[in-house]
Amino acid sequence: MNTLLHILPRWLGMAATLLLGGMAGTAWAVIDGVSGPTFNLTAKADYISAADGNYIYAWGYANGAGPMQYPGVTMIVNQGDTVTVNLSNELPVPVSIVFPGQQGVVSSGGVTGLIEQEAPAMSGGVPGTVSYTFTATHAGTYLYHSGTQPALQVEMGLLGALIVRPAVANQAYGHANTRFDHEYLFLLTEMDERIHDEVELLVAYEQPVNVDTSIYKPEYWFINGRNAPDTMLEPDTPWLPTQPYNSMPRMHPGEKLLMRVINAGRDLHPLHTHGNNIWVLARDGRMLESAPGTGPDLAFSDFTLRTVPGETYDAIFEWTGKGLDWDIYGTNLAHTCNGKSIGQAQDPGAPTYDPITKEYCADHGKTIPVVLPNLQGLTTGPHYSGSPYLGQFGNLTPGSTLLNENAGYFHMWHSHNEREIVNNDIFPGGMMTMLIIEPPGVAIP
Amino acid sequence: MNSVKLRKLVLPLALAACGLSASQAGAAVFVQCPGDTNGDAIPDTAVDPSVKCVHLAAGDGFSTMADGKVVYGFGFADITGVAPADAINTGLLAANFSAPTIELKEGDKFYLTLTNVGMVIRPDLFDPHTVHFHGFPQQAPVFDGMPEGSFGVNMGSSVTYFYNVLEPGTFIYHCHMEATEHMQMGMLGNLFVRPAQDGTPIAGYTRFAYNDGDGSTGYHKAYPLQLGSLDHNFHDSSEAVQPLPFAEMRDTYTLFNGRGYPDTVNPGALPTPLDPDSGESKNFGNQSQKVSSLVTLDRATEGTRLLLRFSNLNVTNYYTVTALGLPMRVVGGGAHIARGPDPDGAGPLQGKDLYYDTGSVTLGGGEAVDVIVDTAGLPAGTYFLYTTNFNYLSNNDEDFGGMMTEIVVQN
Ligand SMILES: [Cu+2]
Repeated sequence: MNTLLHILPRWLGMAATLLLGGMAGTAWAVIDGVSGPTFNLTAKADYISAADGNYIYAWGYANGAGPMQYPGVTMIVNQGDTVTVNLSNELPVPVSIVFPGQQGVVSSGGVTGLIEQEAPAMSGGVPGTVSYTFTATHAGTYLYHSGTQPALQVEMGLLGALIVRPAVANQAYGHANTRFDHEYLFLLTEMDERIHDEVELLVAYEQPVNVDTSIYKPEYWFINGRNAPDTMLEPDTPWLPTQPYNSMPRMHPGEKLLMRVINAGRDLHPLHTHGNNIWVLARDGRMLESAPGTGPDLAFSDFTLRTVPGETYDAIFEWTGKGLDWDIYGTNLAHTCNGKSIGQAQDPGAPTYDPITKEYCADHGKTIPVVLPNLQGLTTGPHYSGSPYLGQFGNLTPGSTLLNENAGYFHMWHSHNEREIVNNDIFPGGMMTMLIIEPPGVAIP
Repeated sequence: MNSVKLRKLVLPLALAACGLSASQAGAAVFVQCPGDTNGDAIPDTAVDPSVKCVHLAAGDGFSTMADGKVVYGFGFADITGVAPADAINTGLLAANFSAPTIELKEGDKFYLTLTNVGMVIRPDLFDPHTVHFHGFPQQAPVFDGMPEGSFGVNMGSSVTYFYNVLEPGTFIYHCHMEATEHMQMGMLGNLFVRPAQDGTPIAGYTRFAYNDGDGSTGYHKAYPLQLGSLDHNFHDSSEAVQPLPFAEMRDTYTLFNGRGYPDTVNPGALPTPLDPDSGESKNFGNQSQKVSSLVTLDRATEGTRLLLRFSNLNVTNYYTVTALGLPMRVVGGGAHIARGPDPDGAGPLQGKDLYYDTGSVTLGGGEAVDVIVDTAGLPAGTYFLYTTNFNYLSNNDEDFGGMMTEIVVQN
């Protein structure tokens, strides 16, 4: 019960940035990354910040001369692009990149490695280099990572996402049934700090980097390189200089949210989406289709996505509140559904949803059939507006912090192996973030 | 024991006093159930037959592992039918493991009242609790029981969750308050929704996992089987008011429906857990492990097809289970029939068939899978259902136990 106290400053810090982010209307956007088709990555070392305040030594693929980052640069290209990745290596060990799911990768320069050409270790202040070129023939969500001693180097942070967009905007693949309104990346990883500490010492003393990776006891779990609650901070926040990406999915009722999910860790992670089931459209960058051109007709519905190490998934989440049997906009404030006020009947043959608010009109004007306890009986959470209704605020437990600026609906999206939603011994944290269903009219970039 | 007994006497009084000082019905037992006039969560007057009410208490208690180890935990007790004045007293040290099974039918209007009765063994804890109806479609935070986006209910108070039940399938429920802790501590249960198609004869069946339109999910007898596991060191730390070892969490007992083999095949409730020294009940005489996992099928009278409603609600591991000698057909998962999207949007009937035959199923935490076992033509006998993660097929140090049960098929 006391564990929340340790982390409270972090949540309060979030309050400030949440507000700033909302007011500036910036950067909660789409998927942050670098557009191709040419990328200059630099493998280097630095520290990342765990959400319990711990600093962990890590390796990552930086964007050119930029800071080391975890995960590496999210590379965004268009289907059909000839992609070139120039890797410069400032680490004391040879490093490479492999691109699972891509065919015909050609390397140039570097030295021969076991499964891929490698950039040699930095020597005398001169980085080793290697280049890779391939044609991005298939749209989809992919992982890239070091192919050199991957048990160690991927654990150290040498991994990232590659997104290949089809010709048609706002589609995951070349079929209309993969259309989306918003898209977000969920790159899932974990870390065992012992390995990082040992590597840090060996590097500091210029010793060969030989570390036992067979014993594995992770204490930190990440989405897009951050532990909760840092997942919900803005991207590029100044106090996380080596962890530029956040995970803050937002949508309006009735919209389609594309989840691009990658498991880049060692363990399976069951990703649970509160709020509704998802439709899984694709795996490893290939649509789940019964024949070319059918679209994702073999998609499956689930409430917990089993993510397997090395696999990627594209899934669509939608939410309208359909069939709750009460009005999500409340009966205390006047509003219309298909132009009808509360108490007015819908016209025969009227649309199922209001065209603007996406309210499910069959539930329009219905009151919640239970009385909620008064505040004495409740402990309200930081993301509860105080009202059951979308877009309305209400009373909260005195002294509580409100981290919900638009009275949106917050649904936790998290690993359902719940020992992964802690930061070491502190709950909550880890592989967790919140979906925000924002009221109509709230701008989402 | 004396302090525990004292707390049983004092806690309801303290909570009652708390309720009296409250201005409204916030800090008091408050059951909401249409047609119920006396607060016992049973309608007294004629109401909409689709109304279903359940009253759960959230509190603490003990359970017995199959090697005899008694572990402390948190959990839910079914106090439906108990008068409000007696609700807290009845709910003390009555936590069930697994939680009481909740069975619903598509079309139900489900009123679930949760009363937080407090922790007898941990009087220092004032933890709120919630019910998270995991997988409920189109959910709004107010009834989702995810306390960061809504609220938990405080000790001595009640909240009534409302669910308009429109989707059939195998769901699960659990407390979401400080989820890693309260779930490791055992606030986990089976919950499933029978489809509207039930009762309509199709292809020789009258009961179905889903609204399949063709009887392909038909079955004769169904069992919910919830995979679970716990770390007794974590539970012992909680009981002893020690720091909770989240990072060191390693589950030591694996379970079906809150029991390890051979307790899984006890057809009744397990006896109340006993203090090994005094021989007295640790639970005021309450039984806590009421959900058997013994599967029986008398083919002469019951039929040949079983539906196994698998779910996994442990917080640490994936588990694979197999039914040695029996065929498995996966017909659903995630509370959805195993069919692709409906091309015309007119219901689930037209989607591509995704059923598959298998010898095992794998589930992580928060996953559910519907498996049909057709015993037609198979010899009668006792078949074993167990985890193939053999390092976990134990009751802590004791092999052969843990996540295993029996399927007894008669001619
Ligand atoms: Cu709880």
